[in-house]
Amino acid sequence: MDAVLRGFREKGLSYLIVGPFAIVLAFPFYVMVITAFKQQRDFYDLSHTPYWFHKGPTLSNARFLFNETQYTTWLRNTAIIGVVVVLITLVLAVPAGYALARLSGKLGQSVGVGIFLTYLVPPTLLFLPLFSVITQLDRQTSSLLHFHLRGSIWSLVLVYPSFTVPFATWLLMGFFKTIPRELEDAALIDGASRLGTLVRIVFPISVPGILTVVIFSFSLVVNEFVYAFTFISASAHRTLSTGVYTDLIRGDLPQWGAIMVASLIPSIPLALLYNTFLDRFIAGFTGGAFR
Amino acid sequence: MASSDDPSRREGRYDRRELIRRAGVAGVSIGVAGSGFGQAFYGPLRFKGRWLKGDLTIIQWAHFVPAYDKWFTDVWSKNWGQKNDVQVKVDLILNTLLPARAAAEAAAGSGHDLFFNLSPQAQFEDQVINHVEIVQEVQRKVGKIGGLGKRATYNPKTKKWFAFADNYVPDPVVWRHDYWNGVGIAPSTWENVRKAAPKLKAAGHPIGIGQSAELDSNMALIAFMMCFGAYVQDAKHRVTIKSKHTIEAVKFMADIFQSGETDEIFGWTPASNNNFIYSGKGSMILNAISATRTPEDLGLPFADQLYIYPIPKGPTQRLGLEHVMGSYSIWKFAQNIPAAKQFMADLEINYKDAFLASKFYNFPTFPGALPFKKIQKLAAADPHKPRGKYQVLTTIAQKYTVNPGYPGYTNAAFSEVFGKFLIPKMFAQVSQGKMSAADAVSAADHDFKDIYAKWRKLGKI
Amino acid sequence: MEALAAARPRGRRWTNVLERPSVLASVLISPAVVFILALVGGPLALAVYLSFTNAIGGSLHGKWIGLGNFRHEWTNPAFKDAVWHTFLFTVISQAVVLVVAGLLAHALLKKFPGKWLLRFLILLPWAAPLPLSLMGWTWIFDTTYSIINWTLQHLHLASTVSPPQWLAQPRLAMGSVIAVHAWRIIPFATVIFLAGLASIPKEVDDAAAIDGATGFRKFWSVSLPLQLPIATVALLFGIVFTATDMAVVYILTNGGPPPSNATEMVTTWAYKTGIESGSLGAGAAISLFLLPVLAVVAIGMLIFARRAEVT
Repeated sequence: MDAVLRGFREKGLSYLIVGPFAIVLAFPFYVMVITAFKQQRDFYDLSHTPYWFHKGPTLSNARFLFNETQYTTWLRNTAIIGVVVVLITLVLAVPAGYALARLSGKLGQSVGVGIFLTYLVPPTLLFLPLFSVITQLDRQTSSLLHFHLRGSIWSLVLVYPSFTVPFATWLLMGFFKTIPRELEDAALIDGASRLGTLVRIVFPISVPGILTVVIFSFSLVVNEFVYAFTFISASAHRTLSTGVYTDLIRGDLPQWGAIMVASLIPSIPLALLYNTFLDRFIAGFTGGAFR
Repeated sequence: MASSDDPSRREGRYDRRELIRRAGVAGVSIGVAGSGFGQAFYGPLRFKGRWLKGDLTIIQWAHFVPAYDKWFTDVWSKNWGQKNDVQVKVDLILNTLLPARAAAEAAAGSGHDLFFNLSPQAQFEDQVINHVEIVQEVQRKVGKIGGLGKRATYNPKTKKWFAFADNYVPDPVVWRHDYWNGVGIAPSTWENVRKAAPKLKAAGHPIGIGQSAELDSNMALIAFMMCFGAYVQDAKHRVTIKSKHTIEAVKFMADIFQSGETDEIFGWTPASNNNFIYSGKGSMILNAISATRTPEDLGLPFADQLYIYPIPKGPTQRLGLEHVMGSYSIWKFAQNIPAAKQFMADLEINYKDAFLASKFYNFPTFPGALPFKKIQKLAAADPHKPRGKYQVLTTIAQKYTVNPGYPGYTNAAFSEVFGKFLIPKMFAQVSQGKMSAADAVSAADHDFKDIYAKWRKLGKI
Repeated sequence: MEALAAARPRGRRWTNVLERPSVLASVLISPAVVFILALVGGPLALAVYLSFTNAIGGSLHGKWIGLGNFRHEWTNPAFKDAVWHTFLFTVISQAVVLVVAGLLAHALLKKFPGKWLLRFLILLPWAAPLPLSLMGWTWIFDTTYSIINWTLQHLHLASTVSPPQWLAQPRLAMGSVIAVHAWRIIPFATVIFLAGLASIPKEVDDAAAIDGATGFRKFWSVSLPLQLPIATVALLFGIVFTATDMAVVYILTNGGPPPSNATEMVTTWAYKTGIESGSLGAGAAISLFLLPVLAVVAIGMLIFARRAEVT
């Protein structure tokens, strides 16, 4: 009886804490949903409540977004960039993280910290030299492969790992340390090579850590905007954020309704996805950052 | 009127030239078809423009009048490209991001052939070509460049045209006739504005002249200063901010703010004063005519009540700035400099379509490209109420519009003062009672001199 | 024949070399290191070089002027203000983040109906592409159409003529950017906290219970010390995000409102100086000013987080 009461009280406390914060944190999204389906004349009308519809909901904002802009292209670009960057990040960071954790002793620790520190370099001005690097490479790719790196989404694919890899390496380094050495030693004694052990034993049990890196890298890519704004100028190559900024702030009048639709469409599925994998993500982080 | 200014004769000439050009296109296509004779045909048919080839890439802002972009991309650029055998590609970008993009292209030594900016970017002088040939070409066709355009894009110190300004945008005062009628005053002088301000605010309709870190505040406040005889620099590019005129202007604006505005003006973005009018709350702003065009397009009930006037008269004079100085530069490293030059010249020479597509927003920097008389006529035909409201734009353009940095040129030092929003800062110090007018002006003077000294040392002013 | 015979041992020697930890380590690390050196190290070196020159307008060269830029900015009140604002912005927003994320994580450890939905709502700010959700905030803070002001006015808590201006009054503007920044980081910090809490062995709790430690005493002497490293890691990420990312401030206030430019940060000031005003050398100097400080802070925190965990 006592335990039931205590459980009840604890649950109540949880609601009391989580409830209000959840409401505050999600409040902008409520505003977005309402604005997304409001008629333009309606949300410029100050005499009626902004919390609900006055003239009735409309799909005209969404229609505008899909018919008049290249929104689906931006979505696809962002998805492609996100996926490829995540893959590159894993290819570079998993081996590096493993090596730093297992194979290189004290020096490894410093290298790990060093890699993490590169994350502190502000992109505010780095985009200038980086753009120049892209341009140099572009001269090669366009003459050799007839492919223009500059101005295409692949320039972002190339640059984004510069901030995902440091983080991912550092996180995975911590994660690999939590994997008991005995597992590998057993395999090594059985005559497997170190590389073989890595691929067959270590990677499979690293799934939570890798998942963490995947989600985190992806969210970093989606949030980035300095490089995306300065590197890409053609609408067809834009990412979500830059496309919306340029093509939906038409005239001096932002298309608020369409902007909100544009913002909700990626947010909700991503939040669902993150929420679904959250427990595994946490498991990965537990290993990565705290061991 | 000089013969080159005579529109009918010019049009005739243009038509004839176009005929020849079309003949050229036909000639070449026949030539190519009968490949063996290609050379023979090609030789004599190389008219002006025919020698262009390849791609031409352009980057510019997403225009405040969206219809302009459609015309520029789908009509003008397409047609021009077909005529000249050039593939024209236009990229649009949010105006506040132009500087970052320009810096990136300059740093990389690679980018668009034509780079547009809302104000001439003197700091890129070393990275761009001398645009003198375009100016000369257009001058040959339509007559002299206006003083405004020259002062904005020419560096007298280095004798270089660091940009080609195709258009500027007059900056009128946009005001609600009904609200002002209610207090029985019209914004014809700044004194009137000061008198009306408390009454308008009391009626729930404040004035809206920004003092924020953004373009419109910069423009409005510098223009306001000029009405009081206060200037950032003189004709020889020496800092002249420290004057009793500036002090008077700053105090006057503080009065207007305290009696007739609210704190919101300190946080505005370039679109805020527009929204302020669109909401039906604001009674007056200083802005280009996109502020009246949008309500017309949206069918807002008070669109007819939005009047436009020249900038109010100050104690010294009535003088304003352009709102936007649309200027293109061609990088030294641009891939297709000949096409870029020709494109610019052709755009300017035939400015009437651009003017119409922008709904009277863009005015040509070369007055001869579309004489004021013609603009008058076009404006008179605009159906929006009050009828003929846009006619006053020509008066504003002719008499009350100068370049940022007037009476000097728009130079790199001035651009830095502009880019760091030091003028709104100076005004806001006093409006918010943080500093006395004299102290705020002295502080500005100190900052400005620092900046001017730096650019003087670099040999740019 | 001879060639074939020779090839075998050589192949084996090659795999043998890979068996040596130090060699394998280098092989595994080098791609990442090379990549980072090329894409961060190179440009960073260039930025350092630029900070010692008077380079202008996007050209990547200039005249060497030694510490001139640094000396000039050091005495520039605008720069000093920016440093102070950055400090305030970072400290306050991170304090808010730590408290809220800590509370949320503790509450979310327990099972209760509807948890999945509430967690979804909390995760939303993290999932939304930041530049887009910031557009939502500019609409919420709009000078005329602010939904907050509408609410306050209808509760008679704010004047209708001059309502609060969330991005235009210095204190409110700073408060707003701090709030939005915290809003954006809280979900992620909560996740880190959850992960950290999960890493505290259950036995510790039980041991404390056996020792008779309860309530505040248990919190102070057992739970809190154990959570310090967690907080440190969360804080580390928060600081990194705050110091290197100018999105929130750039989009919401662009460093305004004048004249105090109450939300001008080192990042936005560097951007204004280097990019928008064309003094590239000075801009580079400004953006590099904080790097050593941040590096020291980060290393300190990393060491603390790892050491605390060992002892």
